[in-house]
Amino acid sequence: MSQVSNRVFAKSWMIGVYAFLYLPIITLIFFSFNDSRLVTVWSHASLRWYGALVNDSDLISAVLLSLEIAFLSALMSVFFGTFSAFALHRYTRFKGRTLLSSMASTPLVMPDVIVGLSLLLMLVSIQHWLGFPQRGLFTILLGHALLGTAYANVVVTSRLREMDIRLEEAAMDLGCKPFQVFKLVTFPLLIPALVSAFLLTFTLSFDDVVLSSFLSGPGYSTMPMVIFSRARLGLNPTINAVATVTIVVVSAAVIASSLYQSHQERKRKREMALAYSNKNS
Amino acid sequence: MATAPNDEKQSAPKEVLLRVDSLSKIYDGAVKAVDDVSLTVNRGEIFGLLGGSGCGKSTLLRMLAGFETPTKGKIFLEGQDITNLPPHQRPINMMFQSYALFPHLSVWENIAFGLKRDGMPKDEIAERVDKMLSLVQLGKYPKRKPHQLSGGQQQRVALARSLAKRPKLLLLDEPLGALDKKLRETTQLELVNIIEEVGVTCVLVTHDQEEAMTMASRIAVMSEGYFLQVGFPEEVYEIPNSRQVADFIGNVNMFEGVIDEDEPDHVTVNCEDCIQYVGHGISCSPGQLVSVAIRPEKILLSQTKPDDKYNWVEGEIIEIVYFGANSTYHLKLTSGKVIKVQEINTTRELTCWRTWGAKAYAHWNDMAMIVLTQ
Repeated sequence: MSQVSNRVFAKSWMIGVYAFLYLPIITLIFFSFNDSRLVTVWSHASLRWYGALVNDSDLISAVLLSLEIAFLSALMSVFFGTFSAFALHRYTRFKGRTLLSSMASTPLVMPDVIVGLSLLLMLVSIQHWLGFPQRGLFTILLGHALLGTAYANVVVTSRLREMDIRLEEAAMDLGCKPFQVFKLVTFPLLIPALVSAFLLTFTLSFDDVVLSSFLSGPGYSTMPMVIFSRARLGLNPTINAVATVTIVVVSAAVIASSLYQSHQERKRKREMALAYSNKNS
Repeated sequence: MATAPNDEKQSAPKEVLLRVDSLSKIYDGAVKAVDDVSLTVNRGEIFGLLGGSGCGKSTLLRMLAGFETPTKGKIFLEGQDITNLPPHQRPINMMFQSYALFPHLSVWENIAFGLKRDGMPKDEIAERVDKMLSLVQLGKYPKRKPHQLSGGQQQRVALARSLAKRPKLLLLDEPLGALDKKLRETTQLELVNIIEEVGVTCVLVTHDQEEAMTMASRIAVMSEGYFLQVGFPEEVYEIPNSRQVADFIGNVNMFEGVIDEDEPDHVTVNCEDCIQYVGHGISCSPGQLVSVAIRPEKILLSQTKPDDKYNWVEGEIIEIVYFGANSTYHLKLTSGKVIKVQEINTTRELTCWRTWGAKAYAHWNDMAMIVLTQ
């Protein structure tokens, strides 16, 4: 009896949690197919707001700008994050290492508002002295790359930590110069971590509204900024449509990658089992 | 446990390949991982470094490979000082503990890895790799990735990879540590055979004394960063030079006592449980405190009291450890001391007088013991 009630409890608990997570999103998708101009009142189904979205050049260009910034800042983050992780993890004996490694991760815990504000102050004074940089794409990129580097650093560090140092030693032992060790062994083994760092920093950048608001200039509004400013003026169903499109793209990517991963994992397990079953050969 | 190759090595002309001169590694200015170690390894020899964890054997091996810089001392290979050469310039290769095969490369590419770094022509690489694959009997699996191989196969790939560049010196770091017991015994011999076929000189690091005994032609017993004893396996086992070595290699019963008679042809030692009659002279003086060490397999158990003045004790069997081929009996003596006696199970009888609580006499001959003064 108690087992059954346990199972019922566990199931309802699970349903509750998933409802909490996904009901808002389902509601949003549902209302994106609503014909009414009023966001919360259902009239009848239509694709009207998707049509409106296609013609909403402001929103479309904001989405494109967001994608561009997310892509570039993720690249920069992974690049800088990898090298800082490598330096902090591999060269364990230099002065101030502990301080530096904790400083590398402070942007993770620092409120975005403070990071944004301090970056803005710095950039404004640099611009005052040098006449450069203009606030816009470049400054937003800088801000996102700064935050992303900290995240990428964490992801790559954890992968480096679990990687067997003996693999690099074996490469050295077999005649690799230090850079060849990185190119031929460390880097190929880091690729999965680099991909996840890229995806993580891409998402962070695509999602960010605080830093972008501080660092953008006239004519440079990212998608979250546009959505945010329109929401303040009263909700517009086009937002539902753009949100739905984003959700569909993101979920497709997530589902595809997890299917691919579980397939790889199963294949690997099968091959390992096979290797041991006919080991006598 | 003597191996035949030993005798060959002894008779062959000795040519020093590796010489280590008072090598030390001190961490953080205080921790002596390796403390003033000197050794020579002859060409064609398998030299075993044996010791518990933290005894410095791995640090010594890593200094030979070039992964650690010695604090003091020099390393010479064929007379050339290689102390400050980086690992990729040393004609030394290592077979790593748990193999360190590159998981993203196939068996073939793993073995070819070092050859490619040397800029060897492609057809020569192919030829060499194929030769290596057939040497370790893995010709069937060149395209497999390491995870598609069993533990024993991975071990052989690791060996092939470390031999492919024809190193002057091969370092083996716990080569069989990752294999299960049954596989280990066959692999041990296989490994030695391949090494001898290739004729490469080896330094082997292990914590497993059986592995060191069966594989190495000479053994250095290491503790706290220095060598306790260096010698052939038989020497280290039968003539240990200290209590520590006797204790570390195999099992041993220690009797503390005082030298009584000290004659050129025999010595007697008064111990608490018996008087030991040692059938050969040793350098000592009457009244000196010594330890008499006797291996469990050199002691016999009997039901009847031995007809002798010396070299026997009386006790009660308090524990029997059955191994199948042999059994170890724990005998509690009247003084309260417990000794171990090992006997081969020559019959298939399941019942025998040697049971828990039985009274038994243990005796040994006058050449069975080692008198240790340090």
